[in-house]
Amino acid sequence: MTGINKNILRSVLVLSYIAIIALVLFGIGSLYSYLNTGADRSTMLHTEIKKIDQYLPKLEWAPLNNEGRPMDAQTLNALQNDYLDAWYVKHVAYKTNTLAGIEDYYTENARKNITAFVAQNKLNHIAIEGTTLEHHLSLDFFSEDGQLAVVTDKNVIEFKRVFENYTLQLETKEQSTYKLIFLLEDGFWRIRHMIKEKSKDYKNKFAHASTEVSKVKGINYYPQASPWDMYGDKFDAAIITKDFKIIKEAGLNSIRIFIPYEDFGKANVKPEKLTKLKTVLNLAEAEKLKVVATLFDFYGDYTVLNWTLNQHHAETIVSALKDHSALLAWDIKNEPNLDFESRHKDLVIAWLDNMIDLVKSTDPKHPVTIGWSNAESATILKDKLDFISFHYYEDLDDLEATYKHLKSEVTNKTIAITEFGLSSYKGFWNPFGNNEDDQSDYHKKAQGIFSENDINFMSWTLYDFTEIPKEVVGRLPWRKQAQEHFGFIDQNGETKPAFKYISKK
Amino acid sequence: MTLKYTYLLFYVWMVLLSMPSYANNGAIELITKTTQFEAGQSISLKFSNTDNETPSLYVSNSYGSTIIKPEIDSGILNYQIPQSISNKTGVVNWKLLANNSLSGAFTIISKQKAVALETYLGPPSIQAGGTDYSMLVVIPTDYLDNPLADSTKVTVKHQFLDNQNEEVVLMKNRIAYKNIYSETKTGRILVSSECLGFNSKEYTVNVLPAIPTDFNISHSRNHDYADGNQITTFSTSIIKDQFGNLVSDGTYIDFFITNRSNHILKTSSTTIKGIAVAKMIHPDHEDQWTVKAFVEGMAESKPIELAYKTIISDFNVLFSEDYRTVTIGPLKSFMNQMVPDGLEVSLSVFQNEIKLNTLTKSSFEGYATFKLDTNNFPSENYTLKIETAGVQKTYPNVKL
Repeated sequence: MTGINKNILRSVLVLSYIAIIALVLFGIGSLYSYLNTGADRSTMLHTEIKKIDQYLPKLEWAPLNNEGRPMDAQTLNALQNDYLDAWYVKHVAYKTNTLAGIEDYYTENARKNITAFVAQNKLNHIAIEGTTLEHHLSLDFFSEDGQLAVVTDKNVIEFKRVFENYTLQLETKEQSTYKLIFLLEDGFWRIRHMIKEKSKDYKNKFAHASTEVSKVKGINYYPQASPWDMYGDKFDAAIITKDFKIIKEAGLNSIRIFIPYEDFGKANVKPEKLTKLKTVLNLAEAEKLKVVATLFDFYGDYTVLNWTLNQHHAETIVSALKDHSALLAWDIKNEPNLDFESRHKDLVIAWLDNMIDLVKSTDPKHPVTIGWSNAESATILKDKLDFISFHYYEDLDDLEATYKHLKSEVTNKTIAITEFGLSSYKGFWNPFGNNEDDQSDYHKKAQGIFSENDINFMSWTLYDFTEIPKEVVGRLPWRKQAQEHFGFIDQNGETKPAFKYISKK
Repeated sequence: MTLKYTYLLFYVWMVLLSMPSYANNGAIELITKTTQFEAGQSISLKFSNTDNETPSLYVSNSYGSTIIKPEIDSGILNYQIPQSISNKTGVVNWKLLANNSLSGAFTIISKQKAVALETYLGPPSIQAGGTDYSMLVVIPTDYLDNPLADSTKVTVKHQFLDNQNEEVVLMKNRIAYKNIYSETKTGRILVSSECLGFNSKEYTVNVLPAIPTDFNISHSRNHDYADGNQITTFSTSIIKDQFGNLVSDGTYIDFFITNRSNHILKTSSTTIKGIAVAKMIHPDHEDQWTVKAFVEGMAESKPIELAYKTIISDFNVLFSEDYRTVTIGPLKSFMNQMVPDGLEVSLSVFQNEIKLNTLTKSSFEGYATFKLDTNNFPSENYTLKIETAGVQKTYPNVKL
């Protein structure tokens, strides 16, 4: 007995000794490695170029026809960069009521004016979130010694949200013309004088797109192996072609796809992603399928100061695809009403309003919609959209009434249901869920309502998926499982009973 | 049924919504009819108000925006525009933050009295001849740092030698500018400007000579012997531009000397009062020089030729008994004087037509002595070649 005890005691002692030594060594080791870390020598001189795009409003120069010295491209570019930075630091100053960066972009006398506003607004708890969306510059004068320039900025579109004591007082979009005098000081083109010469409220009139949406029988599409990551490494034209053939043969005529904002490179759209997107449209065209492209997927910021970046993103994509014959319509954003609570309804709507204007001004041909997550939100901005679309995951018994009610509120516009469907998941996480036959009945019934009321539809979705990224429905297993089983084709590639009712009752 | 109620409620709500807005339109009205003010003037916007509402007013000018609160005086809303706005020219737009959202704009113009003439003159130095110019840019501003209105007259004055000019220019794009051209003479142009009785200080433009024209060079030397000791001096004629202005002091002149074997020697200098003087040591052997001077990329001289005569026609060579010590000299110059110390003497050693080594020495008091040691030159037959001041002597089959 005592012998065993002694042995246990011994081994415990030895093991704890080893453990302590290991810990001490580990401690010394990490201290040593910590002391060996530090700045890379190459960063010592700060020679690396850091240029991040933080402000990219639409900007165009009138043909150069200035008095004084002829302007060169490099100087003009420097002037333009500093001018945009001047706006940016001013927006930041009025948003935060601080003066960071102002002295770089405004001369000593000019910055007094900004300082006065900041002091006054700070005192009265006023903050202004603003941005400019468009600039139309013309160079009036450039001095012989290259140190002074006069520029007119016509029809600057300024958007402002004015807050007092953190409550929104005013949202305003103005169109103004400025006369600016710049001086080259310390390598910066600084604003010396800034004079607003004209200003009026900006209202963009709605102009209907030149093409219409009608008789849509469609489906939301992701490849089975790469849902929500369509343009990544798994991109495979062969798989997409095969899927498009299935869709076409099933009697459908269109697809709805998503263009993720960050994945596509945010403000500066990556050319390789754009090429993949064009490939998808080419493949759709080959199968005579029409495409509804949904912009800004996985985007949820809406901050006013970032609008110019969003605009730049949308403008690049829209202008790249606007002449593609497979394109049916633009969906500005998928279910933006879900962000109303966390990002403020008025801000989200203002953002959408502006983005509609941008997309329509870039592409006047294709209709624009917003994929609202429910019919109640679908009347928001209805006068600015070419057709109204919403998603329907509620009880089919209410569908007809909901549709008719919406129809009565938007009499002059086409309506489309761009997402609907039922998960056939019944299992551990949801023992009372619907099975594949229930799903089949659901689609049969839905198709019945659609054909009776002549409703444009796009179902969710072609495939059951095996992996759902956490950004889509979160990490909860019952949500993930449900999301995995909305398809017409199951995880093994077999058609489910609902497939019969994919395009007709 | 429920649908009907919803409709009914909707209509009632619509009617309710529309009613107060009609009422409001009559309630608040702008009284201030002036839409143009002068910068610095105290500005207040007055509204009649029959309700007890006190909405804020949003105002925005060239530099920024803010919200102001009214003072109420017997049913009149009085909005005092802050100085940050009333002091700066440009359009000021405003919006009443009430239900009916009245909005409007007024203009602030500058006070037409200049208190500062912000002047930019550049480039500060220009070239004579009437084609080059400097530009004067003036921004006349009022006492609140606002540029004066376009079409305001600005008088630009400048003086050069006997000429004194005044010219009126009109402001455009909130600035006034004038090009000031040089004349054919060099000197200083004095520039000033005047706006609405206010005068600027004096500014200066330097008029520098135009590019130099071609010139001549000359030389001077003590004697024409190639003694490797004396110095030849080259100098240019007075270099002028096409208008007869002396080139600026410090204009850099390169002298290129090409000798008989087409090697180039170079000397240089800068001008003072139009003349550049450069020096070069005489060659140590008979030679012929061609000299040409340049102001690089702008002007050049005509070439001149110089000949140098040799100072030595012959010399003595004295071998020691073992032939390992070679004494050259006396080396005598043109008046039979000993050559100045430092004349280069070279001794080349050949064996079977192959050069083994060349030894060089400077002469000292007319002599140069070579010692051929046994380590470098074992006891065999060699050919020795001795040269100084361009004169050669060869001794074949010397047994060391």
